[in-house]
Amino acid sequence: MAANPSQETNLPSQTALMWDVIVIGGGVVGCAITRRFALAGAKTLLLERGGDILSGASKANSAILHTGFDAPPDSLELACMQAGYREYLDINERLNLPVLKTGALVVAWNDAQLAQLDGILTKAHNNGVNDARMIGQTALLSREPNLSRDALAAVEVPGEYVIDPWSAPLAYLTQAVGAGAQYRFDTEVLSGEFDGSFWQLSAAGQTFAGRFVINCTGTNGDNIEQICRKPAFEIRPRKGQFLVYDKTAAGLINSIILPVPTPTTKGVVLTRTAFGNLLLGPTAEEQEDRWNAPVERDILQGLIEKGVSMLPDLPQHEITATYAGLRPATQFKDYQISAEAGKNWVGVNGIRSTGLTAALGIAAHVEHLLMETFPGITRFGPAKTPTWPRMPMLAEAEPRAYQQGDGSEIICHCERVTRREIEQAMSGVVPAESLGGLRRRTRVMMGRCNGFYCSARVAELSSKGKISPPLAEDRDQ
Amino acid sequence: MSGFDCDVAIIGAGPSGIAAATALSKAGVRDIVVYEREAEIGGIPRHIHHPTFGLLVFKRPISGTKFIKALLKRCSNVRFETNTTVTALRAGGVLDIAAPDGNRRIRARHIILATGARETPRHPRLISGLRPIGVTTTGALQQFLYGARLRPFRRAVIVGTELVSFTALCTLRKAGIKPVAMIEENRRITAYRPLVLFARLMGVPIYTNTRITGISGREVLNQITVESPGSGTRHVDCDGLIFSGNFVGENTIARTSHLQHNQSTQIPQTDQNWLSSDPAISVIGNALHPADMGDQCYQEGLIAGTFVADLLVEKVSPTGAIMIVNHDATIKMTTPNIVRQQGDGDVRLNISLHVTRPYTGPISVTCGEQILYLKTRRCMPARRITLKNIKLTASQFETMSDLRISLGKPH
Repeated sequence: MAANPSQETNLPSQTALMWDVIVIGGGVVGCAITRRFALAGAKTLLLERGGDILSGASKANSAILHTGFDAPPDSLELACMQAGYREYLDINERLNLPVLKTGALVVAWNDAQLAQLDGILTKAHNNGVNDARMIGQTALLSREPNLSRDALAAVEVPGEYVIDPWSAPLAYLTQAVGAGAQYRFDTEVLSGEFDGSFWQLSAAGQTFAGRFVINCTGTNGDNIEQICRKPAFEIRPRKGQFLVYDKTAAGLINSIILPVPTPTTKGVVLTRTAFGNLLLGPTAEEQEDRWNAPVERDILQGLIEKGVSMLPDLPQHEITATYAGLRPATQFKDYQISAEAGKNWVGVNGIRSTGLTAALGIAAHVEHLLMETFPGITRFGPAKTPTWPRMPMLAEAEPRAYQQGDGSEIICHCERVTRREIEQAMSGVVPAESLGGLRRRTRVMMGRCNGFYCSARVAELSSKGKISPPLAEDRDQ
Repeated sequence: MSGFDCDVAIIGAGPSGIAAATALSKAGVRDIVVYEREAEIGGIPRHIHHPTFGLLVFKRPISGTKFIKALLKRCSNVRFETNTTVTALRAGGVLDIAAPDGNRRIRARHIILATGARETPRHPRLISGLRPIGVTTTGALQQFLYGARLRPFRRAVIVGTELVSFTALCTLRKAGIKPVAMIEENRRITAYRPLVLFARLMGVPIYTNTRITGISGREVLNQITVESPGSGTRHVDCDGLIFSGNFVGENTIARTSHLQHNQSTQIPQTDQNWLSSDPAISVIGNALHPADMGDQCYQEGLIAGTFVADLLVEKVSPTGAIMIVNHDATIKMTTPNIVRQQGDGDVRLNISLHVTRPYTGPISVTCGEQILYLKTRRCMPARRITLKNIKLTASQFETMSDLRISLGKPH
């Protein structure tokens, strides 16, 4: 993937290896920003320290496309979420990305919460989510007959949807690469120098030169910000643990079941996933570690108790996965996005838990901010006519490869992933280069058996790709 | 009858599926097809190279691979379709099938589910820690080593002490992987006690009364943390972690179908002749009783297959009153889990069960006030306990009560 970038540019004094924009961090925000600038005609490079995109905060979230009904009014977060929401629904069909139109119910489970519903509804309307409405217990339980009878009433938000949290950012990067962008995995930026015109970033023993740098490093955001300036915020990683229930459990609910939020967290959510499972989580736990998010048995058991209190039939269903993610929270509520005028730098930080929804909106905001802050740049190059890569469809409600008969056998029986899907994920425009990348691109080994049936076949197939670290070595050597 | 693509469709080509096909074929049923989603026939035994098979069927210990070969020799006039996945089970004997040569929908006069069992892996056990490469199960390990000829790690810890855990131990040794330790939550091992000596001879410590509390390694496993009341917390370096045993039925197709399931176990309702709530569908093997020996599954499949052959020529009737079998929480499951009256007569049956913890004492089977079975038994987890010769009279079916199996004296 290390070809020279395009020679085409209207910026003076650039060598062939000079980038217009270097994006640090291949989370959902970095991918969306890379797409935005690549389509705008900028020679764009994405540097990611992990072995695949989505190696940090973006790999673990609740996969909800939010309307912003409960976001802080007049915040940048709300503006980016609503812009991102609109753009996602504008482009998702062309990229073959799914939307599960579930709607959400903010359910009150006691009188104190019941008293807050009016305020939530008013806030939703003030935030422009005009179709939000109050529903009483009878209507609530007829819509969600499996909920505990403790559910008292709810605010219904019809526009809250569920999406595929991994295929979407992959589509953004794939489209960016189609417009000439490049990316490097396993490339952690360690330092950088700005000479008044260009940044020289050191990463993985190499130097990358670029005119503008955009910091999208999530939980590492304040550390990377130090390369340019003293950060005005501090990252305080907040861990969220989740449980995934088997596909038999997805039918227990129709809508996303949201709790009444507290000042610190949106609380524990019950939602179907695009892949046909039921998701329970997250927790909200402050921790020091920026990079590792272990699951903890006691916390998971607490989550299960919480889930059962809402859905009494939950114990009849198998748990298929447990995971934890880190949200890059700061001491501030709102996003921390700002440009450093003299240093060709934009920091995109503090994108807490709404990054998946807001990413496309953040990208548009960052492009606008860059043009505004650096008025000498009117444009990077001729804007690209976008190509629209069609992503492999992984959503349970849509036709999957095995159903369309792709001529190969099913390898992963729980998630029904075919051999051809696995092979294609290792040879696409942005091929999987790690097991995590392969799992997110295909769903292989993500099911109830955790690889009991398929992991050896996956290891065999992946040895023909560039998966690192490898799943196994040749036994006969 | 017309409109059927075959007489009997069997899903799963493990010991019980092969047995059912064999019995049906011997009974003169013509058109039998076995769908196997893997590339090879044989189910779990196909990758087991240790002599833990054959004692009941062939009166001598042989390996799983040889066991399957020997079983197939007895099975003729049966069509096996590999790499072929049944994706949905529908009323009226209908199956949706996905295969490399195209997808189709078929209709069978009778369907037999023989989908087997799998081990409980890491996540449903709610094990704390990170999610590195190197965490697996015995079944997956055997496929790595014998199917794909790949070695997934060099130093491994085994979680569990069932019989299958000791086959994992042998598998590791044979493949040149160092078994570092075995870990058991209970105070004694689950398998027969002499196997402790076997592990000791191999120089592998067994930590009983010990729980795994952490998994480390961001990409590749490098250490686990274990905890026991006696020795506190300690770290064990390893790059492989094998969750063994604690089998569960692979009942995915049944769960998403029209079939009724047992309320507490979520195993398909199955009567003493292996008929499900839909009398055109049987369920057999370790999907019902995860996990008995391959030989036991084979013997069960022969009887169940013979019953289906009788059913197809209308020698027996599939309809009758149904009684649910309930049980204590310390009983993992019973087979059967429903009893179906044949016409209006009495029913004699055996009920087998597994327990979730060691138990020695009385076991009772009651129907309302009546005690149908009461004996003192010694029960260990992961082993079949059979309660023999239980008689239900026609009048008991009329009372509409359930059958109740309890550990302890009847109330």
